[in-house]
Amino acid sequence: MALTVDHYLFLSAALFIIGMMGVLIRRNILIIFLCVELMMTAVNITLVAFGRETNTLYGQGFALFTIAVAAAEAAVGLAIILMLSRRFRSVDVDEFTILRD
Amino acid sequence: MTWDALIFYLLGAVSILAALGVVAAANPVHSAIFLILCFFNVAGIFVMLGAQFLAAVQVIVYAGAILVLVLFVLMLVDPDDLPEFHNARPVQRIVGVLLGAVLLLEVGLAIVSRTVMGQQGNATPELIALVGGNTQALGNVLFSQYLLPFEAVSLVLLVGVVGAIVLALPERLGAGSPRRGTISLGHPRGADQALAAGPAFETPIVQTRLEREEAASLDGSRDLIMVSDPDEYTTIGKRGRVR
Amino acid sequence: MTAEPQPVWLTFIVAFIIMNVLLIGMAYMTWFERKVLAAMQDRMGPTRTGPRGLLQPLADGVKLLGKEDLIPAAADKWVFFFAPLVVFVTAIVQVAVIPFGNTITVFGHPVNLFITDLNVGALFLIAFGSIGVYGVILGAYASSNRFSLLGGLRSAAQVISYEIIVGLSLVGIFLLTSSLSVREIMLQQQAMLQIGPLTLPNWFILSQPLAFVLFLIAVVAETNRSPFDLPEAETELVSGFHTEYSAFRFSFYFLGEYINMIVASLFAATMFLGGISGPGSDRFWGLGIVWLLVKVVLFLFFYIWLRATLPRFRYDQLMGLAWKVLLPLVLLNIVVTAFIRLVGNGQIF
Repeated sequence: MALTVDHYLFLSAALFIIGMMGVLIRRNILIIFLCVELMMTAVNITLVAFGRETNTLYGQGFALFTIAVAAAEAAVGLAIILMLSRRFRSVDVDEFTILRD
Repeated sequence: MTWDALIFYLLGAVSILAALGVVAAANPVHSAIFLILCFFNVAGIFVMLGAQFLAAVQVIVYAGAILVLVLFVLMLVDPDDLPEFHNARPVQRIVGVLLGAVLLLEVGLAIVSRTVMGQQGNATPELIALVGGNTQALGNVLFSQYLLPFEAVSLVLLVGVVGAIVLALPERLGAGSPRRGTISLGHPRGADQALAAGPAFETPIVQTRLEREEAASLDGSRDLIMVSDPDEYTTIGKRGRVR
Repeated sequence: MTAEPQPVWLTFIVAFIIMNVLLIGMAYMTWFERKVLAAMQDRMGPTRTGPRGLLQPLADGVKLLGKEDLIPAAADKWVFFFAPLVVFVTAIVQVAVIPFGNTITVFGHPVNLFITDLNVGALFLIAFGSIGVYGVILGAYASSNRFSLLGGLRSAAQVISYEIIVGLSLVGIFLLTSSLSVREIMLQQQAMLQIGPLTLPNWFILSQPLAFVLFLIAVVAETNRSPFDLPEAETELVSGFHTEYSAFRFSFYFLGEYINMIVASLFAATMFLGGISGPGSDRFWGLGIVWLLVKVVLFLFFYIWLRATLPRFRYDQLMGLAWKVLLPLVLLNIVVTAFIRLVGNGQIF
């Protein structure tokens, strides 16, 4: 059984959906953050796999940009998480309701 | 089954199990460890797809920097409350899993029934080997066709750095609010109780000299002082009174 | 220039020999450190075990294995178990991309004197150098101890900061060689350079002196060695991240630290000092390995010399040095190198 691009796409879909379920189920903001990173990585697999299918390097280039943006997002996101946890003494996303109330 | 397929299934299975571990682990530190494992396997998948440079970047940036930062923050925040395990919400869980299953079904069908193929490029393995390898070929693409996005990403990173600093050091910018520093109180077990009983996990760091001496004279004990710049506090000997 | 393909079992044999030599070298590194430190402090060092104390590493090993293995009651057991292994494994894996020579012929078989020649070998070394910090930070977390935790936090911040310097200081070399493969970089340094009457080897310490100094400083910090050994500063933190570790598990941290030093020295020697290049190394491969070892011992001596000479930095000085001094300098080095490269290629002016 030869490997096709579909195999990689299935793997990517599975990882993405596991990450999505984590975002939906968990309430700890740090674990939600980790799940978002997982989803981004899953998307990278798709990009690289399609690049491989069409014999181009654009998929890898895009994945590189995704990683760079993920790094910036991690820096800002973790700073926000740190400030939120200092202010509310909690990491439960359900308690961060000041914008709603 | 070829060696390729065997390695793919091994990497894929471990990465999916690790991803499930990220979602299911009760302790956020365990989640982070599972995610590191998952990222290593994804780096292996990238190598299988012929993207060696991307695999190295994946390990350096994701596993080497982002997750170290996550662990760093995990130890600074107060992880005693694990929201899910105080009052679980069955509806949220069932809906989450159900939505995931439906989406997986849809995406699976889409992949199986896919007929569209992208336009073929000329970056075949032979040509990539001719330029010197994956890194050189990717560099050629990045610095010719993708030069503008590349510069834009550098701007995004710059803004990210500035944003993180602004968020993490609000007291430097806003005047008036008392400066506060925390010592690492985020450890789950073995946290020392004497400190936890103090005023809400934080110790004010800059008091006036009068306040400090007052506090010292009340109960005869020293207060715990942390300053963001050690040079601020090196004159303690002249101010006297450390008991 | 690509390497000759060889059967997998031959690569395994080469890897087995290299790993074992590395472990023995690490054991004698501890002896060497004790002796040199002792000489610098006007002491004798180990003398009782064997001639000149040469059996001291063996005695240390037996002592460590014979001790009681304590696990704190509040420890996170699984993480506590595998954290020391992370340090050890990431340290030893790095040697896989270091070349110890070219292809030689043994009993009619072509044998490559390196384990593998990755297209991204230099990035591999940087990546595994920074992954090692997980062993420190997870071990610190798992032992449920304030001192350990503070040591782990320090180590995480320190390694992230200095990893940037290590990576960027090599960019100049990447610009000059147009390659990320460690073997390719080493091969390019075997060429000779004519500067007027002088004939010099094309070692990158000559064309990248600033990068070499920055790399050396950053690599000392990244291996948590004195004067940057803040994560285990015994005057403030008992012994930092490995306060709760004892016996066998502690020995993995210990092994990891020394192997990291040796690998960092190999890395520096290969990137900046031409690796195996030296007089006579092109005629006989054994001489190349001797030259590499001489350079490595030089770097290891430098490590010990630093430890014996300099007091420990304060933590804010450590971070300030990385971000305010080294980072601008390393960026300057990249800009200047790129400019010179452009002029050399005739692309500007």
